[in-house]
Amino acid sequence: MIRVEQLCKSFGQVDVLRDVNAEIRKGEVVSIIGPSGAGKSTFLRCLNLLDRPTSGSISIDGVDVLARHANVAGVRQKMNMVFQSFNLFAHLSVLDNLTLAPIRLRGVERRAADEKARDLLRLVGLATMAERFPDELSGGQKQRVAIARCLAMDPEVVLFDEPTSALDPTMVSEVLAVIRRLARDGMTMAIVTHEMAFARDVSHRVFYMDEGTIYEEGTPQQIFESPRKEKTRAFIHRIRSYHQRITTVDYDLYRLHGEIEQFCDKHFLPRAATLDLELLVEETLALYKPILRDFVVDLSIAYSEKSGRLELAIETEDTSADPLQAAAGDDGLAIAVVRGTAETIEVRRENGRRRLEMTVRTS
Amino acid sequence: MQFIRWVRPAAILIAAAVACTGCGRHAAPASDNAASGTATLSSTADLNDKRIAVQLGTVYDIYATKTFPGATVLQFPTFQEVTLAVAVGKADAGLSDMDTLAEVMHANANLVPFGKPIFSSPVAAGFAKKNAANRLAFNAFLKSIRDNGVWRDMVDRWMTRRSQQMPDLPEPAAGSGTLVVGISSGGFPFSAVQNNELAGFDVELARRFGASIGKKVRFADQEFSGLIAALVSGKIDVIIADMFDTEERRKQIDFSDPYFEQDSVAFTIASRTAAAAAPRAPAAPSFLDGARISFRNNILLERRYLLIWDGLKTTAIIAVLATLFGTALGALVCYMRMSPLAVLRVPARIYISILRGIPVLVLLMLIFYVVFASVNVSPVLVAVIAFGMNFAAYVSEMFRSGIEGVDKGQSEAGIAMGFTRTQTFVFIVLPQMARRILPVYKGEFISLVKMTSIVGYIAVQDLTKAGDVIRSRTFDPFFPLIMVAVLYFVIAWVLMQGLGKLERSTDPKYRRRAAVTR
Repeated sequence: MIRVEQLCKSFGQVDVLRDVNAEIRKGEVVSIIGPSGAGKSTFLRCLNLLDRPTSGSISIDGVDVLARHANVAGVRQKMNMVFQSFNLFAHLSVLDNLTLAPIRLRGVERRAADEKARDLLRLVGLATMAERFPDELSGGQKQRVAIARCLAMDPEVVLFDEPTSALDPTMVSEVLAVIRRLARDGMTMAIVTHEMAFARDVSHRVFYMDEGTIYEEGTPQQIFESPRKEKTRAFIHRIRSYHQRITTVDYDLYRLHGEIEQFCDKHFLPRAATLDLELLVEETLALYKPILRDFVVDLSIAYSEKSGRLELAIETEDTSADPLQAAAGDDGLAIAVVRGTAETIEVRRENGRRRLEMTVRTS
Repeated sequence: MQFIRWVRPAAILIAAAVACTGCGRHAAPASDNAASGTATLSSTADLNDKRIAVQLGTVYDIYATKTFPGATVLQFPTFQEVTLAVAVGKADAGLSDMDTLAEVMHANANLVPFGKPIFSSPVAAGFAKKNAANRLAFNAFLKSIRDNGVWRDMVDRWMTRRSQQMPDLPEPAAGSGTLVVGISSGGFPFSAVQNNELAGFDVELARRFGASIGKKVRFADQEFSGLIAALVSGKIDVIIADMFDTEERRKQIDFSDPYFEQDSVAFTIASRTAAAAAPRAPAAPSFLDGARISFRNNILLERRYLLIWDGLKTTAIIAVLATLFGTALGALVCYMRMSPLAVLRVPARIYISILRGIPVLVLLMLIFYVVFASVNVSPVLVAVIAFGMNFAAYVSEMFRSGIEGVDKGQSEAGIAMGFTRTQTFVFIVLPQMARRILPVYKGEFISLVKMTSIVGYIAVQDLTKAGDVIRSRTFDPFFPLIMVAVLYFVIAWVLMQGLGKLERSTDPKYRRRAAVTR
């Protein structure tokens, strides 16, 4: 029903989409996932020409919508959109939000439009809110009204642009439930989302977008259980990482601690794991201090949300002295602390570099 | 007494405001009052270190500056302000011709001439330099009425017996053309508004002249200082406005033979003259009596309420039409200003910065005297255009900020639903923008209403001018000013209610609340 070929879109010098090819069939639910800035939203906005593609072709039911005289407004009536920020018309009541387009664009009579609007509000569970105004609704209610507003125009396709990203966590499920219901009813939908569990069980196909193109596509099973490509894998396993290169013995320890804490907070790591991580970094760097001629240390922390594995890697030039062997005159206290704190310690040597990998308990 | 106590400070405040806006060159600081406010005046030689009030553009203006280099010359746009300034002590003395002053003294016994007449001047009709035919016709007409006794009768009636009745005059045949006569109704005996019609020596003379050349006379009653400009630019055909024939004016216009000879005098308040022993006016009436007398004199007498009513209508018409025109033009300018095309955007930006940088009075005069110099166009229309253009410059920026203030997501949602750009603007952006800008728009509208008070400069009889005309007859300085102030407030208030209603109708929640309470 929608066929996209060699779609490119640039904003000035920045190429956001490079050569996107895709097809969405009737009755199909397609989820579009991927990291921020991968071009997911832009792809969706290109589909209904809110952003005009730089090149490529989009055809809907075999009609080229990029042709000079294409009836763009007519195309959009068949392909409505739900926005991240709801965009309900602030000056109209909930009911009028639903009836504006049918009355003005379709010439539907007010009474018929009202009746249908009330049916749709019942469908999304908001029949009692018809007389309210958008600023009197919660985020979840607003988004459900926005979905009902889309449906009021009897669209053939609904595009969802991160419909739950602006919602409080407590309201996400009510909106997802409504979308699930539409999927069950056979509505054709394209959904940009960060809700992986939802994407997995609602969609027929999943597009993983990265580097401005559809990097990998497949059934939910393929994408979520056995992704073939490297970046897909990292994304699916939700590996978050932090890198820092330290180039002086007199590095700013407190700033480094601040950044580590920020990283841990962001991924809801327990306090004990944060403290362990800080201790390990400080003590290991102290061990390296006497044995490195040029103090250049690459420090990286990686955390997999899926497996809960927290890993600290410290990479330096390879020296003859082993930082984990006590030198003469050293009391070996720092080494004892490192060995006692890390869950596992592993040393790898590659191309004259030494990589010390340690894991930290997260529970 | 209460009335007087209350009204004096108020009037002085108003007069001070008039004095400060009326004089360009020598704005007198208010503290001068104490320094020179009490010395006795016995001859014009005493004026050299005093404040002298004159009417802008008259011979007195030039005379006072030249003769009394040490004096502060206060220039006022109308003769009423001159007498007012002297009466309340903002000026020590005023300069006037004897005949007009006699009329003032009749109404306000407190003002008296002092010293010898300062000079005597011929009064003549003014004509454009290229219009010799009219001038010669006027001279011939003058000679004929001097010969057949009509002129002598006119002088006897208006000047000697101080009549205020227009005689029955012969009407010219219909369809024989129009003579536009520039006049500045400063009071009897020369010209004043009576029963909503102009009357006086100059008025009779002009109408007799019109009849003699078979033309219908239309009067353009305007500020004295603007008469010559109006004549030179062809807005009027002749000036018959108690104008002295002077060398300076001859550089720009031609004069007929003199039709009168006038003495000019300096005047001040009675208590400042050597003959201060003159008996004071009877004790001031009580507050109610004072108010009743003022009301009768300024409103009921000669059906002056009609004058006020006409002025009120004119003010309202100019304000409303200028608002409509300005809003439409403002919308166009806003559209151009927001266009991605530089061809449209740049002219709009230039328009806005120029129009906002020009005082609206200057714009008004430029349009009247320069742009429409050779076109016969109604001054009311000119006022609507000038105020509308000015209004447009302000509201276009208001519209722009209103449109930019509506969240971009709103129009995106509209476009995504299948509305065209225009439909999106009309159904989604416009209602939200209207609600956002109405409070500011209302304020701008009210300031437009008040701004129209300057249209008297191009001979439109609005509310302010009606007040001036009444003052020129009653020489009651305070009541008409306060009445005009009250009426402006009332107009503004009424129009605000209308806009307030519109404002509420753009508030969707108000509609719902109204429905609930009903």
